[in-house]
Amino acid sequence: MRPGTFVRLALAGNRTDAARVALTALSAALAALAVLAALSVLAIQTPPGGPRQESEHYTNALLREPGLRGGTAFAILLLTIPVLALAGQCARLGAPARDRRLAAFRLAGATPGQVTRVAVLETGLASLLGTAAGLATYLVGRALLHRPDVNGRLALPTDVLPTVPELALVVLALPLIAAVVSALMLRGVTATPLGVTRRARRAGRPRPWPALLIALGVLGAALFEPIRRASADGLDTLLFAWVLLGTFTAVLGVVLAAGWISHRAGRLLHRYARSPAQLLAARRLTEDPWAGSRTFAALLAALAIGAGATAFRAWFALREQVWREDNRRAGISAFDDLDDQRSAFYLRTMDLVDLAVGVAVAIAAAGLLVMLIEGITARRRTYAALVAGGVPRATIGVSILWQVLTPVVPAVLLALGAGYTLGRTVNADIVSGGDWEPVCRATAELCADPATRDRHIEWVLAGGVVRSPGVPLEQLALLGGGAVAATLLTVGLGVLLLRPNTAVEELRAT
Amino acid sequence: MTQLQARGLVKSYGPTPALHGITLDVAEGEIVAVTGPSGCGKSTLLHCLAGILRPDAGEVVWRDQRIDTWPEAARSRLRRTEFGVLFQFGQLVAELTAAENVALPLLLAGTGRRAARTAALTWLDRFGVAELADVRPGEMSGGQQQRCATARALVTEPRVLFADEPTGALDTLTGEQVLTQLVRLAREQRTTVVLITHEPRIAAYADREIVLRDGVIDHTGLGLDASLAGGAR
Repeated sequence: MRPGTFVRLALAGNRTDAARVALTALSAALAALAVLAALSVLAIQTPPGGPRQESEHYTNALLREPGLRGGTAFAILLLTIPVLALAGQCARLGAPARDRRLAAFRLAGATPGQVTRVAVLETGLASLLGTAAGLATYLVGRALLHRPDVNGRLALPTDVLPTVPELALVVLALPLIAAVVSALMLRGVTATPLGVTRRARRAGRPRPWPALLIALGVLGAALFEPIRRASADGLDTLLFAWVLLGTFTAVLGVVLAAGWISHRAGRLLHRYARSPAQLLAARRLTEDPWAGSRTFAALLAALAIGAGATAFRAWFALREQVWREDNRRAGISAFDDLDDQRSAFYLRTMDLVDLAVGVAVAIAAAGLLVMLIEGITARRRTYAALVAGGVPRATIGVSILWQVLTPVVPAVLLALGAGYTLGRTVNADIVSGGDWEPVCRATAELCADPATRDRHIEWVLAGGVVRSPGVPLEQLALLGGGAVAATLLTVGLGVLLLRPNTAVEELRAT
Repeated sequence: MTQLQARGLVKSYGPTPALHGITLDVAEGEIVAVTGPSGCGKSTLLHCLAGILRPDAGEVVWRDQRIDTWPEAARSRLRRTEFGVLFQFGQLVAELTAAENVALPLLLAGTGRRAARTAALTWLDRFGVAELADVRPGEMSGGQQQRCATARALVTEPRVLFADEPTGALDTLTGEQVLTQLVRLAREQRTTVVLITHEPRIAAYADREIVLRDGVIDHTGLGLDASLAGGAR
């Protein structure tokens, strides 16, 4: 088959196919923007004068301080997680119609390989278009946002540009990754002239083993401070990676646990169901509990990270308070301004994290909306038959609400709990008051020898009061409430589509 | 006694006309087959009679009440309580078991779960599929699914059953088995049946056959095999 024919077939289809292509392109554009933004941060050159020399021409400390740029770039890259989750949801949009189209290609004489290539090409081309659009948006935005203030300082790194090979890599690698993922997703799919069959997904009911992952992740985080104290200098990067690994493990546990939560919630709801809406929701939850993991993965990951950030914020606030109190007790006021600046810096940093979490929740909600639309569209004939039989649309709408809310509330609580515990255990308790005393951390011989003793001396605060930051219930409630509210809004928007999808015309479609 | 009437029904889909002033009466307990070639307006007529669609002009009268002017909620309630509807395919909820699917209309009417399940089991038994009570539609054959769907359509003991090509997706033997059971139970219950089909063989089960062509009634006649299918009635 000629390449032109492949492209035409890949981009053929109905409105739903067009929507899938557009959403895939949008996801790719957002992912490209996030990667380009991260590369821009990393492209900032440290001025001569040492590795800790600040780039004074930026207003934001996250860009100014060399030590913070890596973390900032990483935080921006984290935004690609919900974006990629959204792309994954988009790939499911209009799947039945696409399956029929692929079967029609086979019926027309296409080989299984050609059909797979058409499907993969669709994702690849859409991603390429999206990435190109993302690059164009980045370049235009960079020019438009390049507005130095009166002191010539910049709010964003609009004066630097990733290298051409880096730009080329983004434009080519993202679509390639999308195409490879698409090909992997099609491994269990067989397109025949009579239809598309899928290899059965994992069977059996979900088990609560993801709790082990959460426990492992939290344990890893809890070991951070003891390891840091016991280890030599220069292991910061390794320790950072250790915490990241712990965070990833715990968040993965939360996401996978959503499947078990869905199943349990479905069984519980089925036991106590009093209305058809509850019964429908309960059966759907037990029938495909992994849908919860797929659907809420990005939302739960964002919430867990957001909850961890609230723990950090509470810890920063307490530490600042303790420092101030200690300084005041010691009669030192010279550092007050410095304390204020430092507080403002940390709080601004945490504000940025909160903003990123908010964006992630919004993108995750968009993914949920896509899933809802797909679920309604896939069941439209059944829904239409039910409505024709006298089932009120409200019953179907309420069943969708039950189906989403029943697992999401406990899953959100779990994500908040796990994320907060993770953030809390990474940071040790803070000691207030007391006196600094030298303690030799070595053998008696080394400590007794004046030549080696100094190398093993560690200053320890003795006689102080150990203080723990309080649980930021208000912020956690805001985070969880916001996520549930976003979910409710999404369900409301999705349910609006019930009317066109339950029209009697759906019963006539073959 | 006339139970359901259509008076001068007109319905178009955009510029495409479907019904051109159809008038017909359906008596209580009567089994009427509406036949005709594809696109002649059979399904549209059924949807108008069942209150699923509103005609552009004309009236649908159910027991001396004009129902086509009723709001959608009222027509939905009517379909839930007085009518039963049966389609060719895609009507069972994939995630519910057979018993739950059959019990669904009763649950919607406010019947308790236990009582609804008991009634569902009774109806599944009448259609010979009681052993499938806890099986989901995906694990059933087409015939078994259609038996369950028919049981669901009849579980509320409706006064009228609207069936749109109920055996269209089944093989000949299975289709005849399903239809025989449907007709037998409808006669036992004195349920009026409006049956859409394009197969004369299926129409033979009816008391009366109405043949549509291009949105108008071409002719009417007795079901060829009505007396045989109706037994001693």
